[in-house]
Amino acid sequence: MWLVLCETQDVAAQWAYLGLLARGVEPLELITSTNLAQAVCWEHRLGNDGVLTTVTLADGRHISSSDVHGALNRLLTAPSALLPLARPSEKAYASQELVSFFLSWLYSLPGPVLNRPTPQGLSGQWRHLSEWVWLSAKAGLPVSPYVVSADAGSGYAPVQMSLAPPDAPVRTVLLVGNQVVGDSIPEAIAEGCRRLGQLANTALLGIDFAANPEGYWTFTSATPLPDLRQGGEVVLDAMAAKLTGG
Amino acid sequence: MVLLCGIPSESPLAMVAAQLRRLGVPHVFFNQRHVARTDMWFTVSRGHVTGRLNLDGRTYRLEDFRGVYTRLMDDRALPEMRDEPEDSEKSRHSHALHDTLMQWCEVTPARVVNRTAPMGSNSSKPYQAQLIRKHGFSIPETLITNDPELVRQFLSRHQQLIYKSISGIRSIVETLDESALARLGHIRWCPTQFQEYIPGKNLRVHTIDSRVFATAVVSNVTDYRYAHLQKGGETELSATELSEQLVQRCLRLSQGLGLSFAGIDLKVTPDERVYCLEVNPSPAFSYYESNTGQPIAEAVARFLSGHWV
Repeated sequence: MWLVLCETQDVAAQWAYLGLLARGVEPLELITSTNLAQAVCWEHRLGNDGVLTTVTLADGRHISSSDVHGALNRLLTAPSALLPLARPSEKAYASQELVSFFLSWLYSLPGPVLNRPTPQGLSGQWRHLSEWVWLSAKAGLPVSPYVVSADAGSGYAPVQMSLAPPDAPVRTVLLVGNQVVGDSIPEAIAEGCRRLGQLANTALLGIDFAANPEGYWTFTSATPLPDLRQGGEVVLDAMAAKLTGG
Repeated sequence: MVLLCGIPSESPLAMVAAQLRRLGVPHVFFNQRHVARTDMWFTVSRGHVTGRLNLDGRTYRLEDFRGVYTRLMDDRALPEMRDEPEDSEKSRHSHALHDTLMQWCEVTPARVVNRTAPMGSNSSKPYQAQLIRKHGFSIPETLITNDPELVRQFLSRHQQLIYKSISGIRSIVETLDESALARLGHIRWCPTQFQEYIPGKNLRVHTIDSRVFATAVVSNVTDYRYAHLQKGGETELSATELSEQLVQRCLRLSQGLGLSFAGIDLKVTPDERVYCLEVNPSPAFSYYESNTGQPIAEAVARFLSGHWV
């Protein structure tokens, strides 16, 4: 079985679910944060022989990690229907416990996971733009200087020094493993995106560029949680291949 | 130049500062109590990171810092900030300053003990346990569940269980006794972590770059860190030596987790099996050094200075 794990309102994930089903990625279970929030039973076992997790959902589905071959993981937070009922003094602790639990469960999922969780994000590592800028330069992508300041003169906000002119058209590149998806991507940019994915250790990335009229692309931002619909049929093919080892 | 971040009187920071002074290594404090008199900015340009740090009227080039030791506390809990409204000028400056510092720590080429991202593994103990297992250590059999019946079955298999927090929030490790069993129904609210009790000797191993300091811990309570809080609780610490094989395994684990400095909690069973319970990415080593005389602060200071002086 394969899983699509997502927030309940994540229409891009639901679009991907239908697209993956149409490509024969079956059995495929769509599990939303609402489903997980109402899970009846969690059983997460760790030991020297490995990790085994079984979750029983309120709709009767049993998801056992031993049956999982891969997942598209777009969860942002650890859902719980009971958390709002916790005592105020215990809410922050309980919330942290749930996030930590979900991190362990998602990390233990077998097979390809787009994206595997990290302590800095359940669906892949979230980074400050300063770090993306730094990594992008290391990956060989063109990028403008970026300033971070704690100075009152900056309004205590990062000063973005023309990473992109306000009216510059945005070009989005989606990276799935080593495959770059997008329209008319210059080869040097495609290669830089692949290197960025490796440096960021993130299999699924959305990378935005500003393109000037002369066709010069400049990096502006990256996210482990892109709107997959921007990649159309091609990104569905790429994800299906990645998830099934094709 | 070495940058020490936190509150200068805090024991680990103070001990490292004393060693830097002794070694003649220039260093300055990013003193959290002085946030109102501190400013900072940096630029990332073509992959190079440059910037300035203004401390109490003096300006330092960020690129001159070769080592950074962070022992930061939550700035909202600082005495100077406790009564400040979240949106006050002072609060906004403090948050921006700490955020700028943390962002810089992730991209500076300096030796940072430790960067934020790798420290995150300790935010989820079962996640970290999976990383530990990949580095060849045994880990205790663990069950995280919201089903009391599964816990009872787990208990009958292992006879003795402990329970503890899943997250990095510090909690006292407790034995699952009759009184805890009576409250087992509470776990229906939130999955809770239970582990087989591992008998044996406690070892705390501090790794700093390629150096290793092992401390044997003998205690009469389940969680020796809190022995002083329990009636009759006693703990004795003594320096000890590890086999070369175990030394190398500890170093590989720290390196694999991306930690220049780590506190590794081991348990060695009577049949000499080595379990790793946890890796602390920001170890409060002063407790161990004060009780054993092991030169941990000196090793940290030498590492931060960029060479083994």
